[in-house]
Amino acid sequence: MNSERIRVGIMSRMSIFGPVFVLIALLAASMPLFAQEAGAPATNVAGEEFRSLDQEVQALKKEVLDLNRELFVLEEELLFPANTQVAVFVSMDVGEFFALDSVTIKLDNKEVANYLYTPREAEALLKGGVHRVYIGNLKAGEHELIALFTGQGPNARDYRRGATVTLEKGVGAKYIELKISDRAARAQPEFVVKQWD
Amino acid sequence: MMSKLISKHTRLALAALGAIALTGTVASVVNASEPPLVGTPQAVKDLHWGEVLFYFYQDDYLQALIRLGAAQDFNRLTHHAVEAELLKGGLYLSLGQHEEAGRIFKTLLNDNVPLDVRNRAWFYLAKVWYQRNYLDQAATALASIRGALPGDLEPERHLLEAQVLMYLGRYDDAIRVLERWQPAKGRSDVWSAYARFNIGVALVRNGRTGEAAKLLDAVGQIRAPTQEIAALRDKANLALGYVWLKENRPNEAKTVLQRVRLQGPQSNKALLGVGWADSAERRFTKALAPWLELRERNVLDAAVQESYLAIPYAYAQLDATQQAVEHYTLALDAFTAESQRIDQSIAAIRSGRLLDAIMDNDSGDNVGWYWQLQNLPDAPETRYLYHLLATHEFQEGLKNYRDLKLMQRDLAAWELSLIAFDDMIDTRRRAFAQRTPLMQEVLDRVDPDQLEAQQRDLELRIAAIQRDGDVAALATAREREQWEKVLRIEQVLSRADPNDPLVTEMREKVRLLRGRLLWDFSSSYKARQWKAQKELRELNVAATEARRRWVLVERAREEYPARTERFSQRVTHLQPRIATLSARLAAAAESQNRYLAQIAIRELEAQQQRLAEYSLQARFALASIYDRASSAAPATGGGAQ
Repeated sequence: MNSERIRVGIMSRMSIFGPVFVLIALLAASMPLFAQEAGAPATNVAGEEFRSLDQEVQALKKEVLDLNRELFVLEEELLFPANTQVAVFVSMDVGEFFALDSVTIKLDNKEVANYLYTPREAEALLKGGVHRVYIGNLKAGEHELIALFTGQGPNARDYRRGATVTLEKGVGAKYIELKISDRAARAQPEFVVKQWD
Repeated sequence: MMSKLISKHTRLALAALGAIALTGTVASVVNASEPPLVGTPQAVKDLHWGEVLFYFYQDDYLQALIRLGAAQDFNRLTHHAVEAELLKGGLYLSLGQHEEAGRIFKTLLNDNVPLDVRNRAWFYLAKVWYQRNYLDQAATALASIRGALPGDLEPERHLLEAQVLMYLGRYDDAIRVLERWQPAKGRSDVWSAYARFNIGVALVRNGRTGEAAKLLDAVGQIRAPTQEIAALRDKANLALGYVWLKENRPNEAKTVLQRVRLQGPQSNKALLGVGWADSAERRFTKALAPWLELRERNVLDAAVQESYLAIPYAYAQLDATQQAVEHYTLALDAFTAESQRIDQSIAAIRSGRLLDAIMDNDSGDNVGWYWQLQNLPDAPETRYLYHLLATHEFQEGLKNYRDLKLMQRDLAAWELSLIAFDDMIDTRRRAFAQRTPLMQEVLDRVDPDQLEAQQRDLELRIAAIQRDGDVAALATAREREQWEKVLRIEQVLSRADPNDPLVTEMREKVRLLRGRLLWDFSSSYKARQWKAQKELRELNVAATEARRRWVLVERAREEYPARTERFSQRVTHLQPRIATLSARLAAAAESQNRYLAQIAIRELEAQQQRLAEYSLQARFALASIYDRASSAAPATGGGAQ
C-alpha cells in the first residue's frame, strides 16, 4: 500500500513536474532569443550587478574608441602628411563578371602593396564598401602607378589584368580609386583608374 | 589597427542598419530585390565614406566608427554628412551608448534633414528609448515616422512597435500591428515571425493559452528557407507542444512536437515531450522510443538527464521491474559522474581559469568566434562553457569580457606604435637640426627682392622697346654685333672725304648693309616681340613660384620645430592615457571574469541541484520497487514487454 502511494507520487511528479520543468526552462530561454533580435528593455535582460558592470564597460569602450580615433588621426598626420600623402582605394561595382582575389600595387615600378581579399571583404566591396589598400608618401611631380588585379573572370576562369596610370602629384593629398566594374555589353569586367584630389 | 571587437550579438541588433548606407534611390531598388543588400551598388561620393562602409559591411563596427570619426575630423565626408551622422548614431547604439546615440538622432530631427533620414532617426530613437525601457516615448517616436522605411527597416519597425505594445501589456494592439502589416510579395516574413513568437510566449506567461496557441501554431508552420527560420519554427512548435502537455492535451502536443527537426538544437526537448505525450496516453512502449534515442545524447542537456529517469519510469509502468531497476541504477551512476565532473569544473572556475582558454585561441575574428566555443577542449574549466552561453546574461558578459581583452591587445599595440612615433619625432628633430645650417646657406644665397627688382627692370626695358619701336633692341647677339659694326663704319665714313669715289662706294655698301639689317630686324620684330613677352610671362610665373617656395621653405623652417613639438606633445599626452585606460580595462576585465565565474558557478550549482533532485527521485523509485518486490515475495521478476 505504502509503496503504491509512493509510486503514484512519483508518477504524478514525473508526468506533470517533468514537462513543466522543461517548459519553464524553454520559456526562459526564449526571451534571450528575442533580446538578440531586437534588443529587449534593460530591465528584462539582466540583474542590477550585470547592468552596473555593463554600464561601466560601455563607458570604457566609448573612451577607448575616442582614444583610438585620436591615435588614428595622429598616425595619419604624422606618417602621411597631407602634402605628400597618396592613398590607393579599391572599389567594385556589381561584380558579375569578376570575383576579386587580390590586388598588387606598384608605384614607380616598386611594389608597395599586395592584398589578398577574404570572401567577406570581397562581399563588403560588392555592397559598396571601398577599401584603402595603400597609403604612403610621394614627392610632388609625375609618377607611374600600376595595379594588377587577379581573380575569377567570366565562366569562373582565372583572370589577371593590369591597369597603368601616370599621376601628377601636387601639393595636396592624392587619392587614386581602382574601380572594378562590369562592361555588360562585352560581358567582361572593366578596370578603371580614377584620380581624386 | 583597432581589432574587430563587436561580436555576433550586436551584429544582430544592427543588422538592419545597412539600409542607412543607402540613398533613397538605391533603397527603392533594394525593396524590390532579394536579397536586399548583397550586390547592390553604392553611390559613394566620398572615398572615405566608402571606407567606413567597407568595415561596416564586415560587421566591424568599432573600426567603422573610428574611421568615421577620423574622416569627420579631416572633413572628408562632405557629400554624406547626414548619412554619416545617422550611421554614427546607430553604431553608438550598438555599443550600448544610448545617450550619445540619442543625442545624434535628435540633431537629425529637423526640417533641414530629408524626410527619409528623419524617419530613420525617429526609428533609431525609438530603439534607444525601447532599450532603456522608456516604452511610452518609444511608442511616440514610432508614431512620428511618416511613410515607409527603406529595406528591412520597415518590418523591423513593425516588430519593434509590436514589442513595445507587448511590454506595455497591450497584447491586442500588438497583435493588430502584426496583422496590419503585410510583407512585400515574394519576401519571407522573418520579422513578423519573430514578433508572433515573442508575443505568443508572452501570452502563455499571462495564461492566455488559446490566443498564444494561434500565434505559435502559425509560426510553427511557416515556410523555412533558412536555418534561422527553421530554428524559430522549431522553437514555436516546442513551446506550443509543452503548452498542450501542460493543458493535458497529449495528442495535440505530439502533433506539434513532431514538427520539430530531429537534429536541431530543440530536438532533445521535443523528443522528451513526445515521450511524455505518449506516456500521458499510457502508451509507455511507444514513449520509450524517443526517450531511448534521447539518452544516447549529451548528458549535459536537461532533457537528456530527464530521459534517464523517464526510461525506467516507463519500464516500471510496463511492469518490467528488472529493466526499471537497471535503468534507475544507470541513471544514478550517470548523475553521480556528471555531478563529479561539475565539481571539477566549479573548482577549475574558482581558480580563475574559466576564460583563459577562450582568449588564448581568439584571433579577433567576429564571425567564427561563437562557433569556436563549441570546439573548446574538454577540460574541466571549459566543458560547460558553450552550454552556459544559452543564458543571455552569460553571453552578454562574455562578449564584454572579450571586447575588453581585445581592446587591451589593441591598446598594447598602440603603445608600441607611440614609442615608434616618439623615436620618429626625435629623429626628425635631430635631422632638422643637422640640415638647418645648409638650408640657411641656400636661403642666404638667394635674395628674392633682388630677383624681383631685376625682373621689374626687364619689364621696363621691354615696354620701352615696344613704345619706341626699337626693332634693333630685340636683335640676336650676332645681329647686334653686325649692327654695331655698321654704325662704327658709318661713323668713320662720316669723317672721310665725301668726294672720294671709294668713300662714296663704301657708303653705298654700308647703306645697303644697314638697310638689309633693318629689314631683318623689322621683319622679325613682331615674332621677337611676342617671344620676349612670352618669356617675360614665363619668367613671371617662375619668379612667383620661386618666391612662393622660398616663403614656404622659410615658413617651414620657422614652423617645423613648433609642429614637431606639437606632435611630441600629442604623443606625450596620449601615452599616459593609454596606460590609464589599459589599467582600467584590465580591472574591468577582472571584474567581468569574476562576475562570469559567479554566473557559471551559480548555473553549474543549479544543474547539480537538479541532478541531486533527479538522483533523489531515482532512489525513491528504486526503494519503491524494492519495497514492492519484498512485500510481493515470492518474487517472479519483471520482464520487458
